[in-house]
Amino acid sequence: MTFDWPTLLPLIFASLMGLAILIYVILDGFDLGIGILFAVAEDAEQDTMIAAIGPFWDANETWLVLAVGLLLVAFPLAHGLILGALYIPVFLLLVGLILRGVAFDFRAKVPAGRKHRWNRIFLLGSVIASLAQGYMLGVYVLGLDFGLAGMAFGALVALCLSAAYAAMGAAWVIYKTEGELQKKAVLWLRRALVLTALGMGAVSLATPFASPRIFDKWFVWPAMLYLSPLPILSAVLFGWLWWQTFHLPKADDRHALMPFLTLAAIFTLGFAGLAWSFYPFVVPDRLTIWQAASAPESLAIILAGTVVVLPIIIFYSFYAYRVFGGKATDLTYD
Amino acid sequence: MDPLILSRIQFGANISFHILFPAITIALGWMLLFFKLRYNATGDSAWMRAYFTWVKVFALSFAMGVVSGVTMSFQFGTNWPGYMETVGNIAGPLLAYEILTAFFLEAAFLGIMLFGFRRVSNRIHTLATVLVAGGTTLSAFWIIALNSWMQTPVGFEMRDGVAHAVDWWAIVFNPSMPYRLVHMLLASGLTVSFLIAGLSALRYLYGDRSESMWKALRTGVFTAAILIPIQIFAGDQHGLNTLEHQPQKIAAMEANWNTGPNVPLVLFALPDEAAKENKFELAIPDGASFILRHSASGVVPGLNDYPGNHPPVFPVFWGFRIMVGTGILMLVVSWSAAFFLKRRHSLPKPLALLMVPMALSGWLATLAGWYTTEIGRQPWLVTGVLKTVDAVGPVAGSHVALTLAIYLILYVLLLIAYLGVLVHLALKAAKDGDASPLPGVLDAPLSQPVAQPGER
Repeated sequence: MTFDWPTLLPLIFASLMGLAILIYVILDGFDLGIGILFAVAEDAEQDTMIAAIGPFWDANETWLVLAVGLLLVAFPLAHGLILGALYIPVFLLLVGLILRGVAFDFRAKVPAGRKHRWNRIFLLGSVIASLAQGYMLGVYVLGLDFGLAGMAFGALVALCLSAAYAAMGAAWVIYKTEGELQKKAVLWLRRALVLTALGMGAVSLATPFASPRIFDKWFVWPAMLYLSPLPILSAVLFGWLWWQTFHLPKADDRHALMPFLTLAAIFTLGFAGLAWSFYPFVVPDRLTIWQAASAPESLAIILAGTVVVLPIIIFYSFYAYRVFGGKATDLTYD
Repeated sequence: MDPLILSRIQFGANISFHILFPAITIALGWMLLFFKLRYNATGDSAWMRAYFTWVKVFALSFAMGVVSGVTMSFQFGTNWPGYMETVGNIAGPLLAYEILTAFFLEAAFLGIMLFGFRRVSNRIHTLATVLVAGGTTLSAFWIIALNSWMQTPVGFEMRDGVAHAVDWWAIVFNPSMPYRLVHMLLASGLTVSFLIAGLSALRYLYGDRSESMWKALRTGVFTAAILIPIQIFAGDQHGLNTLEHQPQKIAAMEANWNTGPNVPLVLFALPDEAAKENKFELAIPDGASFILRHSASGVVPGLNDYPGNHPPVFPVFWGFRIMVGTGILMLVVSWSAAFFLKRRHSLPKPLALLMVPMALSGWLATLAGWYTTEIGRQPWLVTGVLKTVDAVGPVAGSHVALTLAIYLILYVLLLIAYLGVLVHLALKAAKDGDASPLPGVLDAPLSQPVAQPGER
């Protein structure tokens, strides 16, 4: 491999896209998770839960726009291939995101009697969007397989990713609330963890066995040794988090952010595993990142902007989170 | 059914639904900044009351714009893979810059703008309003640059059937871009002015005579009265630019079948493409020649010069007429209302009644204008580079038909809900008048009943 721009640029953009997807999954993960948890929360709790994500969700969803945008602009061939193959699940994801996004606003502005309807739409949208993302992940992992097995596996991953998001949502509620709701969220987290672990296990096992190429990347010496921290660390973190759910919340609200950070770490490890499996392909076993990439001069001009703007984005995103830091209180416009 | 026509209808439906909301947020951001700056300068809490009423409309419109915009970023790939395959090297960076410089800026500071009034200093809150307004405008800049490049592409070369950028400055500031950008920004300004004026007129009709109502009403009416003549001039300039760069579009807009001098201005007609003539034509002699060439004997391009290579005449002809007709109505209504507000300090009831439906006149004109220019680009997706028919993906017609049907139902329901909330917010503001609590503005105890918990 030579290190010239035509080689490096697609690699850089694949990394950036991966980063955007990971940040999206973590950040919008807790938004969607809170939407899913609407199914088991009471009216007053729902208001507090919305207040815990209200100022952030918009920026969180923007990471999805960036991820899809990078796929679109850096790997246009893959964008068409992947999204064309996933036409119906993509459509469902969009419907889910539309319902979820507008319900956020409508529920607070409609006459009081109609608020319930929009709460249900918020739940419905979050569930549809999560299921659709999980299904797409499952089908993608099996190399865009639309046979019966592929679809069944997609359904399993859909369920598990939704559980993972619910766990993220619960962890965020633990961080942003106190009292009864916080205690409830600890229970939600424990239950959701079971399915999350099952899902990660299923994806981890299915990925190498669905593709001999990926199998060879994992189960050869010494790669096995270098890669072993991924599953081991994930398992340890899962165990630790499970144990934590029996001790939270703690006095003085210590470690309230730990469940969220732990889950984010688990997501990152899982994501790193997937990235290792699929590299250098952007469409599994069909298109590599170099085959799918745009012209180097176009990538270069995007990169120039990204290098300048991305740190600024991260800086002001942190600022926005800090402004609304601490426990969630009622959100009001005035 | 034919995936091409279904995909076109689907994208048309999505982008039509989408543009309604940016058309509001682009200018409403600046309008909110105006309210905020007036409050900062005068300390008059009525300005802040107007701000809080309209910031809710902003929040709702912004959310509608975001979710419908996300839909489109996916549809490029699902329905139009040929687009990015051919011109991705140009469209990609422009879209990327929109996301990087505008989307994140808007989204991050929106939270502070909406809910941060009591959490940050007044100065930071004003700054957040500036950044959100600037973000929406920057977003418009990039997307108009891309759209204009598709209309009048320059600054690139074709290699193996794929467009490669040669001169980015020329690409961004392509020949039609400055005209289209100005036209669209003014359209947004007018959309918001009439929306504010119309909903304030509704409050007025419900007996609301509060200071915040008057302030919003005057701001809406006077802004509209100032912007509409500028828009008519800018639109005329944009038309002359189109004549220079896309004459076949002008030929369709004027339903002019034969190139020649002394072309009449057709006021009404049913263009018949098969017979290549206008039915039931009502026209002003030499009008089109005079408007486009400033001389009765000026030569106006006709459709006969572009056989098989011009847009469908009927929708372009009528889209243009609906836009211009709405614009003239806007001129009459805004100037009458401005006259009464300035001279009589009141609003006659019939005029107020007319202003309520005119709240949506900006939407009508914006949509009609976009239909004119976008259908007017056909059969090309990118003029002279890529035909629409060559960009459509291999997706099954039944899939497109199913998703299209659900999108349409969803959009209609959301539009009804959206308009319902606008009316609800206006009537609620009318009922509260100047009495609604402003805990962050007045030095009042926070235990006052404020907005519903969890409201955003």
